[in-house]
Amino acid sequence: MDMILQPFMRSLETGSVYALAALGIIIVWRTSLVMHFAQGSMGMFGATAVAFVFNRAGAPLWISVLAGVGVAVFLGFGVDFAIIRRLKRATAVGKEIITLGLIMVFLGLAPIIFGTDPMLLPRFIKSGDLNIGSAAISYNGILNIAIGVAVAAVLFLVLQKTKIGLAIRATASNESTARLMGIPTRSVTLFAWALAGVLGMLAGVMIAPSVTVTPTFMNTVQVSALFACVLGGFQTFYGPVIGAYIIAVASNFLKLYVSSVWGDQLMYVMILVFLLFRPNGLIGRTYMQKV
Amino acid sequence: MNPTLKNIQAGAILKNAHVQFIIFGVILCFLPAIAASGAMKSSTLSTLAFVLIYSIVSIGLNLLLGYSGLVSLGTAGFMGLGAYLAAYFVENLNLSFWLAILAALVVPTIIGVGVGIVSLRVRSIYLAIATLCISEILLKTFEQLEWFTNGTAGKQSHFPVIFGVQTDRAGMFIVIVVALVLIMMLTHNVVHGQLGRALHAMRSSEVAAQAMGVNILKYKLVAFALATMYAGLAGALYLFFLKSSYPSTWNLFLSLNVIAMVVVGGLRSIFGTIAGCFIIVAIPELVLKKLPVIGDINGLPYIFSGVLIVVVIMFFPQGLKGLADLIVVAFRRKGKKQTADELVKSAD
Repeated sequence: MDMILQPFMRSLETGSVYALAALGIIIVWRTSLVMHFAQGSMGMFGATAVAFVFNRAGAPLWISVLAGVGVAVFLGFGVDFAIIRRLKRATAVGKEIITLGLIMVFLGLAPIIFGTDPMLLPRFIKSGDLNIGSAAISYNGILNIAIGVAVAAVLFLVLQKTKIGLAIRATASNESTARLMGIPTRSVTLFAWALAGVLGMLAGVMIAPSVTVTPTFMNTVQVSALFACVLGGFQTFYGPVIGAYIIAVASNFLKLYVSSVWGDQLMYVMILVFLLFRPNGLIGRTYMQKV
Repeated sequence: MNPTLKNIQAGAILKNAHVQFIIFGVILCFLPAIAASGAMKSSTLSTLAFVLIYSIVSIGLNLLLGYSGLVSLGTAGFMGLGAYLAAYFVENLNLSFWLAILAALVVPTIIGVGVGIVSLRVRSIYLAIATLCISEILLKTFEQLEWFTNGTAGKQSHFPVIFGVQTDRAGMFIVIVVALVLIMMLTHNVVHGQLGRALHAMRSSEVAAQAMGVNILKYKLVAFALATMYAGLAGALYLFFLKSSYPSTWNLFLSLNVIAMVVVGGLRSIFGTIAGCFIIVAIPELVLKKLPVIGDINGLPYIFSGVLIVVVIMFFPQGLKGLADLIVVAFRRKGKKQTADELVKSAD
């Protein structure tokens, strides 16, 4: 077994999961200036819905995922429509605390709606490994990497080349100016929250086969995704994606070669130390506050 | 805390905040006697003790959140660190109660200042993320560092000996009350001193405060250090009251609950925060659990806290303190023709 390539491929797989979750966080941050602490728990809720449809209703996996997309979009719309857009007067901290409150709401709701028994989700591709030299990676792993890269690529294309993307970028750069220019910023924000919900759900479905679907199974993903944003900087859409892959690779190699128990913890400390030297992240520009 | 005043001089004394705090503490000290007489369940006394312990943490977080607008998600981690340090000092090193409390005060504060220096230089939201990760690191430490925490089996302790007196549950309750009253006084002094003025200035405009020579980083750091110190103290008191500590206690949801206590109680209010703690800690324990049908649902306390956070921020940003102010206004309206709305407007 290859000791470099093998863990590297595994890291790309988890990196894709973190990248999807981080993309959700950064899109919400850029469009509605809310730090989305509930990204993980909303993703958990969506993924639990998928597991519920799959296990209890016996639907095929792809139909379950489609149902999950429906749940995630509904949640995203609901949160923005019922709460976030009514918060224009609340301070930035107030909005952050709201997403913290949402964590508890979703965490409490999930077992009530979907039952308290832990559920399992299978891989999309049941078995089979691809051998590259002495390294082996499952076809499902390759699919996960492909999904991560493809979703990120499509998203960047949409952001850069389409009218919707232009509207999102305009809203991200200055919400009130964008509104004055006739961009429907409310719809943009609504779309961003729904998209974040779907991305979180996808991340959950991708990581679920290696863990059990419980209310807290997305905690690591949430923390890693937030750290990916810190590492990559909050100013660009692609920074957090790069950050996510770096975090996944670093975490896997630290666990393998330094300490299997303390790997993640070591990495957290390293990121904190990194912040001392580059406080705005890898791609970040200096953050200026206007008076 | 507003008894009918017989004469003006007594009224003046009663309006002194420190006197109010002491009266509050003296009243609380009767609770163990009431529980011993059988008029109150002994489990209720425990719940109230936890309300008071969490009050200490929340008053600290209120300093941070209410004055400098910073969120800490590491409260549970720092509390747990305080608890395990206290247990280690008393049980493993056979040191006194006071040294244990000192360790629980100092070590979390040092770690907190380190985290603050790293994260506060950029923008305030980084503190939340940095404390979230410190909390994860500490939680992992509690689970893995067996010589220190006894791992998932849990660390056991005993009621401490204080001033040569062996305490019991009622005794520890009074110790907690004394600690809370001291914390209330300290917080009152901090808020009305130089630090408080600086924090007030920062709250209205950081840029303006900076232009007037307020060192923003320094005061944010001090506020955060105080919050972690209170958390460490509360953790130690938690350990000595419950006589045990398990890693699973110190998870993210405890930190979120503490935020809920501050938000529900109302920012920048000491008594409001204690009332918020009562609602978040005691209502699920004493009321919700006893409800038919929905009382058995496990996630109910989470939903209760979460929904309260959302609803209070959306519709009632002043929290319980704001509610109390409105009630006071409603009573005064008979005398003065000032509507509640007007006062709310002027308060805004």
